[in-house]
Amino acid sequence: MLQLSLNTVSLGSAYALVALGLVLVLNATNAVNFAHGALVMVGSYLAFAIAAVVPAKGIVILPLVLLSAAAFGLVLALIAYFPLRTKPVVAVFIATISAGTIFENLVLLTFGPEPRSTPPILGNRMLDLGNGVAIGEQSVAVICAAFVLIGGQYLLFAHTRFGRRLRAVAQDPDMAAACGINIKVMIAFTFMLAAALAGAAGMFLSATYYTSPTDGANYMMKAYLAVTIGGWGSIPGTVIGAFLVALFEVLIPAIPALIPGLDAVLPTATLFSMTSSTIALFLTFLAVLLLRPQGLFGEAIKKRA
Amino acid sequence: MRGAILVALASLLCASAAGAQTVQIPVIVPLTGPIALEGTSQRNGAVLAIEGAMPLKVDTTILDTAGAAEGGANAFERAAGGKGVVAAVAPMFGTQVLPMIPLADEYSIPLLTTAGTAAITEKGSKFVYRFFPSDMVTKRAQAKYVLEDLGKKKVAILYNATAYGQSGFDALTTYIKQGGGEVVYSDAIDLATKDMTPTFAKLKAANPDIVLIQMHTGSMALLLRQYRQAAVDIPVVANTMLTMPSTAALLEPAELKGVCAETSAWIGKGVSPDLDKFLDDYKAKYNAIPDFFALQQYDGVNMAIAAVKAGAKTPQDVQKYLASSEYKGAAMTYKSDGKGNMAHSAVIVCFDGTSRSPALVKRYDGKPATN
Repeated sequence: MLQLSLNTVSLGSAYALVALGLVLVLNATNAVNFAHGALVMVGSYLAFAIAAVVPAKGIVILPLVLLSAAAFGLVLALIAYFPLRTKPVVAVFIATISAGTIFENLVLLTFGPEPRSTPPILGNRMLDLGNGVAIGEQSVAVICAAFVLIGGQYLLFAHTRFGRRLRAVAQDPDMAAACGINIKVMIAFTFMLAAALAGAAGMFLSATYYTSPTDGANYMMKAYLAVTIGGWGSIPGTVIGAFLVALFEVLIPAIPALIPGLDAVLPTATLFSMTSSTIALFLTFLAVLLLRPQGLFGEAIKKRA
Repeated sequence: MRGAILVALASLLCASAAGAQTVQIPVIVPLTGPIALEGTSQRNGAVLAIEGAMPLKVDTTILDTAGAAEGGANAFERAAGGKGVVAAVAPMFGTQVLPMIPLADEYSIPLLTTAGTAAITEKGSKFVYRFFPSDMVTKRAQAKYVLEDLGKKKVAILYNATAYGQSGFDALTTYIKQGGGEVVYSDAIDLATKDMTPTFAKLKAANPDIVLIQMHTGSMALLLRQYRQAAVDIPVVANTMLTMPSTAALLEPAELKGVCAETSAWIGKGVSPDLDKFLDDYKAKYNAIPDFFALQQYDGVNMAIAAVKAGAKTPQDVQKYLASSEYKGAAMTYKSDGKGNMAHSAVIVCFDGTSRSPALVKRYDGKPATN
């Protein structure tokens, strides 16, 4: 149970980093960045490439991954957002899909189709807690690293002048511009921050789960689910949404093993299979859309791409 | 003496005529998308065969089918009208091959594929040739090894929730039951699933004697790594994807210790001069270790080339050769069972934990079923 719970929290932490990046750009631009999943994948490959040059633990190469992923975020903003920001929001929507596809194919051309793995943050050992309970070193490290990154982001937004400017742009760009804030710089920085978070998540996830050039779409879907369930624009809601997605992936399929005797009263093999759990996750997603379209912790609904 | 010289000259002229003929074999495979890895291997094997066709001149066009079901049919339409097309390499992705079959019939061009999906040779077409053992061969070998050689009866099956996974699961379930075994646990795992610990928790609770796997490359590596981390000690016999060098490269030798797998052919030095040549040429050209998709696609294209060298001038001639001839390739001997299934052998290999190269432990040589 402890191991399963820890895996849920670890996976949820990584998903939270992915989903937060999506929300940051959404709030700043009022458009969904559909290249965000590809940025996660790009982050994995950046970590892989950096590790090939600097063979060190993940914690050493993480700053380099954050910086290089941020550069990709800037490129994305320059090619897929700024040239189209005055056009209907659907143009950004299509442009980010195109940019994501370009990133995917560039990675494929550069690294080939083979799955890759990145160095773990500290190590990949199983830490024995006694009584047959063991927890993964990487799982614990991911939780800690995600906590630091999410906490850092909170401090930036809540307690710095720069962060307040970012929030001002997200809340009312016109008013922020009238107050002398350089909107373009703030939006560019938001793209960079979002990409850095995505890159970190990519590095954390691929250390345990590998990565391949086509993984972006899957991460995009997870982030979209988390953001929709948690609440569009809500950062705490997004984190909770990410943990819910992980809960459906890890804990719910394990229920028959956690509750002995349950299979005597329920068809557990079908009800709690991985496939059924995925169906349940998407049913929850639909229920939220129908009953609480702004998400569990979201603001009043706005028009989104 | 004069007669001998005339015969030699005539032979030389015939050879020159064959050598002067230019034919085309388009290579239609997934080079992007989720099965780009396997498609790239297919392309590499096909191109190696085409480049080694001398003195025959073979042209080719490489067409990417990506991941969409219609990708193969669209590419085939573009390629089929080309000059001198005698056969086409078709994707190893059965879902893409199925829509290509009516077109192959229409253009009368044989498809050379390594797709494992059973249905492609069940459509009644005489233009589909599969140079890879179908599930009927490999899953039977996997089940037989588990039941007869290892003596395990309580079986768990983990498979991907895809057509490939489902097809293998169905075949394994049938052969395990036919052999007197029992499937005590099974789980379909989505390709997007990252954390597999819930499956292991349920697997342990079911207490099987052995675990059979039918999964794709990435999922397979992910599962085995987490399997070791979760300290599950139930023996594993996996499907052929584990034997791909790119899959084994994702795992540490210790993570592979004791794991066995079925596969179509044993790829190692010293088995035959043809296989040695293939391995040397592949390494020289691609600086990589080939997998069975590359090897068997190489054999498939070489058989079509052999048909042309033997006098086939049209795709219909090549089809007749493929349907009726026996061909000794680098991996095995191929002969159609009347439906286009050319490969009838499978092997079991096991990893000893010291390297990523498995050792051959059992060979199952079948003959084409002609029913």
